[in-house]
Amino acid sequence: MEGPHTMTPHYTDMQLDALRELANIGSGNAGTSLSAMLGHPVDISVPAASALPLADAVEAAGDPESLATGVVLPIFGDINATVLLLFPPDDEATLCHLLGVPPGTEDGRGALGEIGNILGCAYINSLAGMTGLAIEPHPPETVCDMVGAIMATVLAVQADQTNLALVMDSRLIVEGQECELTFLLLPSLEGIDELLARLGLA
Amino acid sequence: MRMGELATSACVGDVLVTIGLGSCVGVALVDARRPIVGLAHVMLPEATNAPGPIAKFADTGVPELARAVRAEGAARLEAVIVGGAQMFSFSGEGGANIGARNEAAVREELGKLGIPIRAAATGGRKGRTLRVHVDGTRVTVREVAGVEEELYTRT
Repeated sequence: MEGPHTMTPHYTDMQLDALRELANIGSGNAGTSLSAMLGHPVDISVPAASALPLADAVEAAGDPESLATGVVLPIFGDINATVLLLFPPDDEATLCHLLGVPPGTEDGRGALGEIGNILGCAYINSLAGMTGLAIEPHPPETVCDMVGAIMATVLAVQADQTNLALVMDSRLIVEGQECELTFLLLPSLEGIDELLARLGLA
Repeated sequence: MRMGELATSACVGDVLVTIGLGSCVGVALVDARRPIVGLAHVMLPEATNAPGPIAKFADTGVPELARAVRAEGAARLEAVIVGGAQMFSFSGEGGANIGARNEAAVREELGKLGIPIRAAATGGRKGRTLRVHVDGTRVTVREVAGVEEELYTRT
């Protein structure tokens, strides 16, 4: 049941490949920062860049009813986007342990927010460097809730322009520690166009 | 049921579910006398030229839900609404708080249709899961890591 005004942007494989490469380099930098903070090697899964209907995008981050701590960084400037890091509870506990802070406390959440901030900035800075865009993250906000509620609320902000969301996600895995976190970049519709224009692929 | 979706049921045994309502609002419409229910998962207040399925927006989704439940045979409609939380304190591009605007828009549409709201679990900062059981016409809500709480039962 699509409305009469439905506008469905279409991205070519070449465009999605280019965005995936951006995600690859961005998450590579984020992984290097995480590794430096923890003193452990960090692996990065092959990132994905997919254009999904909003309802599917909500589910792209995993079981919508599962619990996770989410760190959200709104990105403003030449492009608007949201960086979202998701930590499942067990991985959050491992990460807090590695950082020497008690999980599930104010300090623990503060530390995760700071990790989100550092990783988000590393990712965004490499994106800015590659594309020449002036972009700047706002201070992070940390919530602990259902993954679906976090995703839907983040996506609702841009949902009046589009029924499609571009989800760029990667997983950072701390080697030997069974600790994994999901890193998502959710650019606005104009943001995607601007990214592609800077890459000469608009 | 996912964002922007709408469903009805008159099958005892069915449960309509929306998982993880954050700023979205789940609108349950039930018949006050018989086991006929409907549920819509609304994401935004108004459809002004925006793309998406009809139930994505309060101003198009609520009237469509009322029509669909009546088509199932429902006569005396009552509403239960859940969601509309403000999970983040920054407002983002949209300016005002989407959750509160969604709730206000849903209440306004229900008012226009003359459908009374019998129960609500709205606002706050936490996500919620909404279940509408056709059997006994029970509506329940649960927050993350919380217990299932009963909001409505047909009398």
